[in-house]
Amino acid sequence: MADKRPVKIGAPEDEHQLYQDLAQEFGTPLLVYDESVVEQHYRALCDALPAVRMYYAVKALPQEQVIRTIDSLGGGFDVASGGETDLLLKLKVFGRRTIHTHPVKKDEEIRTALRYGVTTFVIDNVYELEKFVSYRSRVGLILRVSFRSPGAIVDLSRKFGCNLSEVPSIVARAGELGIHIKGLSFHVGSQCADASKHVESIEKCSELMLQLNAENDRLMNVLDIGGGFPADYDRRGVVIDTFCAPIREALGKLPAEWDIIAEPGRYLVAAAVTSITSVVGRSVRDGVNWYYLDDGAYGSYSGQIYDHACYPLQVLKEGPLHRSILAGPTCDSIDVVAEDILLPELTAGDLVIGHEMGAYTAATRTRFNSLPDARFLDLASRRIVD
Amino acid sequence: MKQFEETLYDAVNQQFRIDKLYFENKTEHQHLMIFHNAQLGRVMTLDGVVQTTEADEFIYHEMMTHVPVLAHGNAKRVLIIGGGDGGILREACRHNIDHVTQVEIDEAVVDMAKEYLPNHSAGAFDDPRLNLVIDDGMAFVKSCQESFDVIIVDSTDPIGPGEVLFTEDFYAQAKRCLAPEGVMVTQNGVPFFQPDELKNTHERLRQHFTDAGFYCAPIPTYYGGFMSLGWATDNCDLRQVSVDELQGRLGQVGMTCRYYNPEIHVASFALPQYMRQIIGTGR
Repeated sequence: MADKRPVKIGAPEDEHQLYQDLAQEFGTPLLVYDESVVEQHYRALCDALPAVRMYYAVKALPQEQVIRTIDSLGGGFDVASGGETDLLLKLKVFGRRTIHTHPVKKDEEIRTALRYGVTTFVIDNVYELEKFVSYRSRVGLILRVSFRSPGAIVDLSRKFGCNLSEVPSIVARAGELGIHIKGLSFHVGSQCADASKHVESIEKCSELMLQLNAENDRLMNVLDIGGGFPADYDRRGVVIDTFCAPIREALGKLPAEWDIIAEPGRYLVAAAVTSITSVVGRSVRDGVNWYYLDDGAYGSYSGQIYDHACYPLQVLKEGPLHRSILAGPTCDSIDVVAEDILLPELTAGDLVIGHEMGAYTAATRTRFNSLPDARFLDLASRRIVD
Repeated sequence: MKQFEETLYDAVNQQFRIDKLYFENKTEHQHLMIFHNAQLGRVMTLDGVVQTTEADEFIYHEMMTHVPVLAHGNAKRVLIIGGGDGGILREACRHNIDHVTQVEIDEAVVDMAKEYLPNHSAGAFDDPRLNLVIDDGMAFVKSCQESFDVIIVDSTDPIGPGEVLFTEDFYAQAKRCLAPEGVMVTQNGVPFFQPDELKNTHERLRQHFTDAGFYCAPIPTYYGGFMSLGWATDNCDLRQVSVDELQGRLGQVGMTCRYYNPEIHVASFALPQYMRQIIGTGR
């Protein structure tokens, strides 16, 4: 089961020195956060989709420092739980800049979000719609539709979203209940190869919205195009402007007064975080070098299981390459970071670097074996900020 | 320049310029902000919703206090639930009462209001007639063995720590603490935007009081037209007190007001037709 991910052997002198210094000063495992990368990606995405308001999907990396970065850039926030609204409240982000996008909620969850100041919520069925009867004078709902997305790494339409054909009846029911459905949303899935699914979804949703608006005076004028903007896991280079060009064109055909929003998570934060982990021990088993790291699939590399991601790796050492396996620190045999890759000979204390590790990494880690979390280091201030 | 954006409704909202931020924190119970605005003076918000401003607080506090106290005519013991900014307390202390108990759930609101909104309480927190209790209003009325002539419920909105103060159970327990001829008044939202609140409160109060209704006052920063103030008593004469009688009682207290006068008092019980329709007494 060979691992096809990019593995870089060696590093330029200054890069090598930086990783060694950080590991020396702060210990490993570390997650190194470079705020300037989020800024670059946020600006690039806004430039690529100038008509779209961005709501950062907090779930991708719910770290205070990241929230502060997005806040300073003027971005909004997409939350899915009371824990996430609490995080924003703690950082004094106004609720008005936040939308709640989990399609299924407890009443308490709705009330917490309303108290925080959220007035935009997502639903995808009539049962969820009815939960808003008591709050109808306060909220505007977005109805999530699903389009199956076989090309995406993670198909987000399996679990949530109604069929387009169900939309008119749900909107009609909302009208009877006095609840305003102000628009539609869709999620094409994450890590899309191209934007064709976005374009198709925009066209289908907008066509239906225009049709319903012609029949109904409670207008729908919000279109939430979700996320799906890719991270550069295969190191081929993602040009976000090129990726977004077809989306931009499709959005250009919509009425100018519509509010177009997106929920980017992965694209904004993936490249901003780099993992530094150390080799703790080694073994040769059946002729293959095994290296045991201090971070793994139950920790920062959890996204390799839950998110089906495969992060580009780098070792600083150079030399003849051997078949190698990188394993995580827990007792479980599923805790393997890279199955069969070619690496120079490593010894205890050598560093293994993981790139593109901002999204759905620390967010989904566990406390299995009571191992400590990787510390979260802000590169600009050289401070631990977790 | 930072803006405060109120977060009550999705499709409309009011924004205030924050000219100077005095205080912002999440207290034990809620998110509290106090800031200065050039037009409104000091503004206090809880959970993103305007609670009071120096410019228009007199309308709310005078109407919440003087209407029940002067309608009663011989109120000696007053109970305030909520009202941590001290505005109701200030107005209540102007009357010839013997005692006032105030029950506020969030001590931080009292502390911050004393420091940053001193004009609201104007020293009333030091009045010897006051018994200030930091407790949940529901817990207090449940265990209360005292009796009050007037109960004033100065709560936040039904979403948040004030939620329990809108329940039928609370109204029932509060009635236990109310003298037989007494009256309870409640903050009840802006019916133009919050019709359900008016309807629900009416239905709940009706279960426990012979006269369960509302009177009105327009408070500019609770935008949306009239605010409804709940009126609950078993003494149906209290809403009928004449302008002349009220004038006499006001004269005995010897106070001047900025919004309240006997004519406004009587007129405030006239409900616009849309409110009557919401509570099902439309004709």
